[in-house]
Amino acid sequence: MSGVKLDRVVKTYGAVQVVHGIDLHIKPKEFVVLVGPSGCGKSTTLRMIAGLEEISGGTIAIDGRVVNRVAPKDRDVAMVFQNYALYPHLSVAENIAFGLRIRRTPREEIRRSVAEVAEILGLTQYLERRPADLSGGQRQRVAMGRAIVRHPKVFLFDEPLSNLDAKLRTQMRAEIRRLHNRLGVTSIYVTHDQVEAMTLADRIVVMNGGRIEQIGTPMELFTNPANLFVAGFIGSPPMNQLRGRVVRDADGPAVMIRDIRVRLPRDVSVEDSQEVLLGVRPEHVLLAARSNATPVPISLDLVEPLGSEALLHAEIHGQPFVIKAPTQGDVGRFSGLDMIHLPAEELKVFDAETGRSLITHQVSGG
Amino acid sequence: MTQWNMYSRGDKIFAMTCAILVGMFTAATLYPFIYIAAVSFSSGFAATAGKVVLTPIDFTVEAYRFILGDPRFWNSYKNTFIYTIGGTAMSLVLIIPAAYALSRPQLVGRRFWNLFIAFTMWFNAGMIPFFLNMRDLGLLDSMFGIIIGFAVNAFNIILLRNFFESIPRSFEEAARMDGANEFQVLWKVFVPLAKPAIATITLFCIVSRWNGFFWAMVLLQSEEKIPLQVFLRHTIANLSDTEEFAMTALDASYSAETITAAIIVCSILPVLIVYPFIQRYFEKGILLGGVKE
Ligand SMILES: Nc1ncnc2c1ncn2[C@@H]1O[C@H](COP(=O)(O)OP(=O)(O)OP(=O)(O)O)[C@@H](O)[C@H]1O
Ligand SMILES: [Mg+2]
Repeated sequence: MSGVKLDRVVKTYGAVQVVHGIDLHIKPKEFVVLVGPSGCGKSTTLRMIAGLEEISGGTIAIDGRVVNRVAPKDRDVAMVFQNYALYPHLSVAENIAFGLRIRRTPREEIRRSVAEVAEILGLTQYLERRPADLSGGQRQRVAMGRAIVRHPKVFLFDEPLSNLDAKLRTQMRAEIRRLHNRLGVTSIYVTHDQVEAMTLADRIVVMNGGRIEQIGTPMELFTNPANLFVAGFIGSPPMNQLRGRVVRDADGPAVMIRDIRVRLPRDVSVEDSQEVLLGVRPEHVLLAARSNATPVPISLDLVEPLGSEALLHAEIHGQPFVIKAPTQGDVGRFSGLDMIHLPAEELKVFDAETGRSLITHQVSGG
Repeated sequence: MTQWNMYSRGDKIFAMTCAILVGMFTAATLYPFIYIAAVSFSSGFAATAGKVVLTPIDFTVEAYRFILGDPRFWNSYKNTFIYTIGGTAMSLVLIIPAAYALSRPQLVGRRFWNLFIAFTMWFNAGMIPFFLNMRDLGLLDSMFGIIIGFAVNAFNIILLRNFFESIPRSFEEAARMDGANEFQVLWKVFVPLAKPAIATITLFCIVSRWNGFFWAMVLLQSEEKIPLQVFLRHTIANLSDTEEFAMTALDASYSAETITAAIIVCSILPVLIVYPFIQRYFEKGILLGGVKE
């Protein structure tokens, strides 16, 4: 099994640099998801690994071999494209077999491999069909089949689910993860959907503007975002941000949001009167009082029931604030809500200027 | 099917006007064929007298007997097949790779080459220089000269290039990831995907080769190399000024008109037979289902 190493990888188009020196070490069998907003360079990075884009600087190594000058076909990687790129003139079986045919695999072996892959993906009964006669999900599976049939060292996925409807996406997401558990092939997966990233990844790479903001397991990113960007990107709805000023006194550090004094966890490195953004995940807000939680008055203006939970849209001194709370079967219980409680241990603090996390108890990789 | 009654009055008038115009156009296109066929089966007397309108008058197959009995007819027929098949094959062999290369963004000097080729659509050397060129290349009175000399045409290259350009890049990339080299990308992916465009070009080539007349007449001297169209012209010229023929014409079983018509019918037949087979490839939406954008 093979790892993938990116060292100071740069991509420039003419005079424009779009990837600014990325370092990323992917371990064998790992499922890594590149996530980030549109245009941040995810696809470009993936395509450099695939060999479809030239590498302008730095090195990429697959399985210990530097592949900067190696053609895509000799890198032993397979890619699933966003638009599938199934050959419309070939049947499903021929589509899956295409790569093997090109590599002059013996006929009998091709037949066996195709049958096996079709079995894994539940395509056996569609082998003779043309792509045009398949549903979106089936096409997606054929595209996957074409990748796995060759037993490549690395799978690359570029937003493979973005053309499917929400339900099918959830289903295929689970299938992809199951497939990974079964085959254990190193996988690099690009998406801009943070839910997909959270559910699929062993490790997530959050990218922004051609740089890596943070690398970590889904839970690491969720609990210890290194900066405001990651905090806002991971988690849905995103983390609330309240602007305030630090005060330090005998009680320990706190943030003043105008006249509201919010206690901070002990392990923050803040200076007196520093401008900060207080980060509060909507799901961490408490509706009932508790020790070590600061009561904060709010003005509630909208309740969005989602079933077992509801999103409460509120304001704290004019700053928007979203709360995610269990409905317990009755949305009426939120009417008249005017006080919430912020538990100190769940609060994040970010420097208002740099956006960096000021929490010190855990430093996550980046 | 939509119900006729669902249309508004204006729509009905529009639909009927369309039908009438299409009908008239069809009639105008079809009539010459019918007329020629009718003449070819009429007696020479009736044809010369201009009596044939829609159906054969004094039905006879004498005109066909006359030309089918002429070995020069068969030889020129054979030549036309050679020029058509050889020329079309040569065109495809040259045009497909050229169009593919011109469609690739990684081609060095792509803009220049595209302009270089498109230029010839509007400006060319002209007849005399072309003739001299062929002469200097030793391609006068040469069957190969006819085949190679007219194999490449800028319009067809550009037509196919545009089609290749419209094929999503991910097909090429997927094929390359699958291990295909440039040739395999072209022959195993792009050519099958471009079938409708290639069928169009093939048809253009076949028709222009089949009807090719002028340059064959100018460049070929030997009787045994001429194609059907040139033979047709020779025959008409001969028939009209042979004295002996004037005599037989009185007998009126065939005439210059009926023989001309018979040769035309013979030359149209293969095109009519081949067309439906090629037409199958003008399938719309062959890319459908391959990609989802
Ligand atoms: N051929 C190109 N020439 C110039 N710039 C390009 C080219 N391809 C991509 N870019 C630029 O590189 C940047 C990164 O593009 P990339 O496709 O990697 O984004 P992405 O993260 O995959 O976005 P998305 O989520 O929209 O797919 C973008 O700003 C884009 O405009
Ligand atoms: Mg992309």
